Amino acid sequence: MKKLLSLLLCAAMVLTLLAGCSSSSSDTSSDATETEETETTTETEATEAEETADVSSDALQVAWSADIETLDVHQTTDDYQIPLNVYDRLFEIQLNDDGSTSLVNSVAESYTVSDDALTYEFTLRDDVYFSDGTQLTAYDVAFSLIRLLALDTSVQTDFAACILGADELIAAEGYSYDDTCEGIVVTDDTHLTITLAYAFAGFLYELATPAGCIYSQAAVEAAGDSFGTDYTYAIGSGPYVITSWTRDSGMTLSYNEYYWGETPDFTEVNIQIIPDSSTLSMMFQNGEIDILDCDFLDSAVVSATYKTDAYEGKLVTANRLGTSYLALNENDEYLSDVSVRKAIQMAIDRESILAAIFDNDGSIPDGIYPEGLIGYTEDNQGWLEYDPEAAEQLLIDAGYTKDADGYYFAMEIANDNDNSTSRVNVIQVIAEELQAIGINCTITNYDHATWLDLRNSGEMTAYVSTWTADYNDPDNFIYTFFGTEANTAQRSLNYYNTEVMARVVAARAIVDDDERLAEYAALEYQIVAEDAAWVPLYSSSHLFVLSDRIESFVPHWAGYSDFCFATITRAE
Amino acid sequence: MDESIRNQESLQSQIGEKDGIGEKLLRMCRQNKLAAFSAVLILVIILMAILAPVIAPYGEAEQDLLNRLQGPSAEHLLGTDELGRDVFTRLLYGARVSLTIGILPSLISLAVGVIAGLLAGYVGGAVDYIIMRLADIMLSIPSLLLAMVVTYTMGTSTVTLFVALSMAGWASVARVVRSQTLSLKESEYIQAAQSIGVSKLVIMLRHILPNCLPSLIVLFTLNIPSAILSESSLSFLGIGVQMPQASWGLMVNQAKEFLFTAPLLFLSPCLAIMIVVLAFNFLGDGLRDVLDPYMNNQ
Amino acid sequence: MVLLIFLMLRIIPGDAVSGLLGDHVSQNTIDRLTAAMGLDKPMWQQFVSYIGNLFKGDLGISYTYGLSVSDMIMEAFPYTVKLTAMAIVFAWAFGLLAGIISAIYYQNKLLDRLFMGLSLMGLSMPVFMTSMFLQYLLAFKLGWFSLVSDGSWPTMILPAIALGWNSAGSIARMTRSSLVEVMQADYIDTAKAKGLRYRAVIVGHGLKNAMLPVITMMALQLSSMLSGAVITESIFAIPGIGRLATTAITNRDMPVLQGTVIFTTIIVIAGNLLADLLYSVLDPRIRKGQ
Repeated sequence: MKKLLSLLLCAAMVLTLLAGCSSSSSDTSSDATETEETETTTETEATEAEETADVSSDALQVAWSADIETLDVHQTTDDYQIPLNVYDRLFEIQLNDDGSTSLVNSVAESYTVSDDALTYEFTLRDDVYFSDGTQLTAYDVAFSLIRLLALDTSVQTDFAACILGADELIAAEGYSYDDTCEGIVVTDDTHLTITLAYAFAGFLYELATPAGCIYSQAAVEAAGDSFGTDYTYAIGSGPYVITSWTRDSGMTLSYNEYYWGETPDFTEVNIQIIPDSSTLSMMFQNGEIDILDCDFLDSAVVSATYKTDAYEGKLVTANRLGTSYLALNENDEYLSDVSVRKAIQMAIDRESILAAIFDNDGSIPDGIYPEGLIGYTEDNQGWLEYDPEAAEQLLIDAGYTKDADGYYFAMEIANDNDNSTSRVNVIQVIAEELQAIGINCTITNYDHATWLDLRNSGEMTAYVSTWTADYNDPDNFIYTFFGTEANTAQRSLNYYNTEVMARVVAARAIVDDDERLAEYAALEYQIVAEDAAWVPLYSSSHLFVLSDRIESFVPHWAGYSDFCFATITRAE
Repeated sequence: MDESIRNQESLQSQIGEKDGIGEKLLRMCRQNKLAAFSAVLILVIILMAILAPVIAPYGEAEQDLLNRLQGPSAEHLLGTDELGRDVFTRLLYGARVSLTIGILPSLISLAVGVIAGLLAGYVGGAVDYIIMRLADIMLSIPSLLLAMVVTYTMGTSTVTLFVALSMAGWASVARVVRSQTLSLKESEYIQAAQSIGVSKLVIMLRHILPNCLPSLIVLFTLNIPSAILSESSLSFLGIGVQMPQASWGLMVNQAKEFLFTAPLLFLSPCLAIMIVVLAFNFLGDGLRDVLDPYMNNQ
Repeated sequence: MVLLIFLMLRIIPGDAVSGLLGDHVSQNTIDRLTAAMGLDKPMWQQFVSYIGNLFKGDLGISYTYGLSVSDMIMEAFPYTVKLTAMAIVFAWAFGLLAGIISAIYYQNKLLDRLFMGLSLMGLSMPVFMTSMFLQYLLAFKLGWFSLVSDGSWPTMILPAIALGWNSAGSIARMTRSSLVEVMQADYIDTAKAKGLRYRAVIVGHGLKNAMLPVITMMALQLSSMLSGAVITESIFAIPGIGRLATTAITNRDMPVLQGTVIFTTIIVIAGNLLADLLYSVLDPRIRKGQ
């Protein structure tokens, strides 16, 4: 009886699933159909092998720890690396030598803004072609922006929400390729006009973010549901085209011969997926990869292995416009007390954390804005000192008493299992330091999806995370966390000060720049120093090590991607 | 295996019951030095684990950020880890977690397996069929994937680990108990007991279970090292014991990055795992030799 | 079996859909996706349609990738087959060889101890430790193998050894002890008395009988080998079934996890049947019995 059952299951398996199992474990009873299937599989394997062989030793070798999920930037908030290299945007943000950023034209050749700052007229370059040879027109730009807003599964609608008519599109159910938006009007192939619902200074910067990628309408329509998952439909006007993609294994890119810009030094890129960080480090030392992202390694390993004479001049430091913070949920019984939050701010020895865990590569801002961000001001620095005694005194003064175990109260920090080892270490240090002032701080671990779910629900007690600028403006930081009740709930902060939140919204519309920045500085101080709604931790630099084959590599200024392959130059 | 032979053997073992388990253990110690040594070693390690708070020179999570990744010294026998915690201390506390994870799920699967096996063997019929098919399935699902399924459902925690490891272990216990129950059921003295109207429950617990005990002790001993190994593999995937708790598997995984920079940090939990796993294996083999002639022959 | 896994994956309180979407998603979107995935139907209906599809070779659609799970498994499967097949070959070759050599040179303490020491190492080390150890020593320090595998046979050797070592260890020990036992049996003496050479005796008679328990064990080990593949695939960057399962856990991609578990379990059952067949070929007693 048992065998009958097993045989039944086996039959189902052989007929349906076991097509690829030819080489070894299958028994001799394979029938004709199965052999046919097997042959096809072998064929595909062969082509795959050829493709791998095609990647010359000339190619740029890069490794990432996890594969991307989708090529469609409208449906991801993480996987920007490939779209940034495959698609163009109307503008790019360029990092200047002094650390500031500026907006440069890309597909847009020029633009004019009306006096009321509501109407933008764009003129596009007429020499931009997609990798299938068709021309990129203003219709494609409009199509991409409308899809960004109207697609029900779009997670990037914020980046175009200021366009007139955007709210209706976002709210509307369903999406069709013929959807139109009130504020987007195409005049001809190279001209389009965008009208905003309200004046917003950051609009052009938003168009330069990954969300502003320009798709080919024809390719998106041809792909249907498989857009984003089938790489052959990822047709853009950027410097590279995808030539192969084996999930969880790797991807190869080659130069887009229709690209309108300069030919990059590396016309081929081979990306491998290497989940294990020690393997990654060994591969780099063997010369198998060209750029090593040190975020995957512990700083002690980096300093012992790569901050050595052997790698002199091969280390690249990127100061990202990002900051790490400890978020405290003000809906929590104890964390709702401002003196508790102030005590926590003071109980964390940030200098030691930076020294021990990041080998002093970085800085410790006392506010929300990291150094280099527009709006960062020295005036808001230097007020926060590590002082565990004073921290505990704050708790005592607030009337807390120790229980039998010697704790005033308990709290929990949520750890995302996908966190880098350095962040896990930081969380452990914080937990220990809070224990030291009498807060029974424990760590709970969640897998990434659950963690995100819990945080978005607004019910996570505390967590450590990093925010990196999407565009260089304080609004991108402060509005994300303290702009609306929904925003602060989504970050599990549940900030209660509605007056401040109203000021954050109002600040977006301040026209005078000095006045605007002064308001942002005041808001930062109010939120961090007065309300203690933000526990600043550190702003760590991002290190990369280069192989001898690389002459120069400038990491992308923003956190959303480090790799613009076209700008990497080859050593002679 | 031929039923009659098995019956004869079990009868023999009943007749030979003069030799109690204790005496057999003594005999093993005399004959098998390796197993005896393993037993002593395990006892010492268990004792150290229990006394960890007394022996350990530092607190379990006591950090010293300025002295991270230090080599061995007078203050830190085995050096310090990536947060400046004392490795020797972490090893002692890790022993508590690792041994608990080795022993507790093995006990649970033993209990579940014994109940399932007795029911299947003694009641028979549909009960037998259902229990044994369930056991077959459990034995066919690769244990790591089973643990992943449990993690998916229950989230990552030590409880998840217990459930996952117990689920993987009970089936083999149930199989052994069932086959022994089946053979004992036919034996004369059980039939005699039945004929004088002793209740089924009493027969199962008083007469059948004690006869399964030797095999169970062996199975139990051999289950422990495999549970410890499973835990370390699960830790590798990030779904085992969770920091800041210390288990040997977790320690190896956190230290693997420092293979070049601080090899001792990686090697000491590695060796701890290997030693304990081997000790349990040797002890299990030794026990099997003296307690369970039937399993040995097979 | 399918029902069991199906149920186990569905007692979760949270829902998979919101986990997959991340930021900025309205409740409307969540509801619509839930309906699209058929998750709003009662569980038995989901199960019936799942079983129906299973027999058509359809394991559902991945939440994260939007691809057919069967396609994903079929793409990943050849890698796992290669890896496991090579690991089994290694385990048998090394295990039997080491077992035979140890048994023949039973008296030669050095060889016996060397091989048994290697076997014990395999037995007592978790797969990831073996993998890292071999990768560091043979691939990084000595440069004999490549650090990661691109799926071709030569690059699979090292991962296969790492995966097969554990089984090789138990096979070697099992072979050795049953050979030593068999060789003390009477018929070996008879064979020897007939003038057969010592080694021929071992290979011809002893080995054949000693193989039986080894085969039984091998079948049992297929399951643990597939478990180990999850680890090896991660360390050596092989895009096989194990990697699918690991990423499915991180992404909470239930259809993929479910598909991989059901698929591998079917493979194990098939492997066990194969072992039964082999067993009856090798053991005439069983053949007659049937």
